[in-house]
Amino acid sequence: MTVFIAIATVTLRSLLGRRRALLMLLLAGAPVGLGLLVAINNERLGPSEVGATIDAFSNRVVLPLIALVFGTSALGSELDDGTAITLLTKPINRASIIVAKVAVAGLLTAALVVPSTVLAGLLLGGGGAGTIGVTFAFAIAGIFGSFLYVAIFLVLGVVTSRGLIIGLGYSLIWEAVVSSLLRGSQVFSVREYVAGIASALDPAASPDSVIGAGGFLYAAVVFAIALVIGTVRLSTYEVRGTD
Amino acid sequence: MTAPAVPPLPLSEATAGGPASTIVLDRVSRWYGNVVAVNDITFSLGAGITGLLGPNGAGKTTILHMLAGLLRPSSGRVLIDSTPSWRNPEVYRRIGLVPEREAVYPFLTGRQLAVLAAQLQRLPRPEAAAAAAIRTVELDDAADRPVGTYSKGMRQRVKIAAALVHDPPILLLDEPFNGMDPRQRLHMMDLLRGMARAGRTILFSSHILEEVERLSDGVLVIVAGRLAASGDFREIRRLMTDRPHTFLVRSSDDRRLAAAFMSEPAVFATELRDGRLTVRVAEFSGFTRAVARVARDAGVTLYEVAPTDDSLESVFAYLVSRR
Repeated sequence: MTVFIAIATVTLRSLLGRRRALLMLLLAGAPVGLGLLVAINNERLGPSEVGATIDAFSNRVVLPLIALVFGTSALGSELDDGTAITLLTKPINRASIIVAKVAVAGLLTAALVVPSTVLAGLLLGGGGAGTIGVTFAFAIAGIFGSFLYVAIFLVLGVVTSRGLIIGLGYSLIWEAVVSSLLRGSQVFSVREYVAGIASALDPAASPDSVIGAGGFLYAAVVFAIALVIGTVRLSTYEVRGTD
Repeated sequence: MTAPAVPPLPLSEATAGGPASTIVLDRVSRWYGNVVAVNDITFSLGAGITGLLGPNGAGKTTILHMLAGLLRPSSGRVLIDSTPSWRNPEVYRRIGLVPEREAVYPFLTGRQLAVLAAQLQRLPRPEAAAAAAIRTVELDDAADRPVGTYSKGMRQRVKIAAALVHDPPILLLDEPFNGMDPRQRLHMMDLLRGMARAGRTILFSSHILEEVERLSDGVLVIVAGRLAASGDFREIRRLMTDRPHTFLVRSSDDRRLAAAFMSEPAVFATELRDGRLTVRVAEFSGFTRAVARVARDAGVTLYEVAPTDDSLESVFAYLVSRR
């Protein structure tokens, strides 16, 4: 447990100690800003409109971007700049490194995304009937999404030094374009898992979800696969010899 | 071409009870695509200090990384106490690695970094172990400052503290003296000597001959990924010194001096071109002992005697050419 806490603590300080934390805070504030604009204009959206807005803004933009930054920074950046040697040259199970890093980066992502989603939902719906359920459905689904996205992006950072670019491509091209055009490809989209989980918690959250309650299963399977791949790849990770 | 007639370094026993920890590379090669970084290297080391000497790009870091389990050998075996270092995190209980890159968490203080290393080693009293390691490298005064504010030499020392925190029997150091001032360098050399006397196996890389000469019991000379020579430093030094040398000589009468040199056994060629006398000698020490006497006997005043190829690279090139 000491080892897990030590890795988690240094990861947390690493992720929070840089300018990126402030940028992520600003990004998480964007849906709240939108909600404020709506509230200032004395408008109140209905449950399905709140769900659609949160899905389009928080679920499809803010969540993957924050998870991408924290996920790739938590380990990939340390592998790139060499600080990860401190962890890799110790007698510790590689799985514990992956799990600790995913836990911290996932918690940080959720800590930004969930309050952002709740505040935005409450402002957009004005606390009206049905909107609170939709809001919290997406907030809870956001927790699942945070850990799943982070796990995928963290593993990308272990597998390749271009994890950030590939992750961005996955989010902006695969999830935003391909999976909206080809419905069958939605089973490979974390965004759709999150929408499915939200719709399972409150059917008004995402009534068109193809995945539905299956999002729980898909998320669990992909999360487990990501952890296994990350552990195996980290076990065989090779530093680049400079000499 | 023949290899230098220097036997492999012998395995030795620790002075402080029990067998010494051993490092073995057995016909190890490592390549990146078509580039061969390390080429069929075999050696074994026991207690004591060994210098891994070679020019930049020779393959020293690749060897240390393979020993530290951070690189997979493309062929051959890398063993730490008879167990492979690759994909074996348990070897880190017995290894302390000081990498060349200054990659440490910049927001941690020196003390926090050492405590982190101790916690990751699952030591029972990480704070005490960290304090002892910090004291060993004489970093107490700066221990509570963030590492990001450290000088290069201080970063080297804190990395050494983190590597020593679990008191490993094997210490691998990649260019450990980079950035240290002379006093720190001497202190670190004393520290490493003491650790070696206590029975530890220490391997450090350097491209500076004098560092290796002052510290090492044995030396491994790596050139272009190959083991150019290995063994006792004095023997290697003799090989390096007694190789053919070329000198540029300026004197009051170069022509007469050139003729006089030709009767010297250490000299095998002289050349007068563009008013400059070039002397090629077979034996460095023989020539340097004879040059003043030859000039005096010939009635010539010497203005300058300068070796033209005394760079470390030329020394290494010579050692490789002997293989």
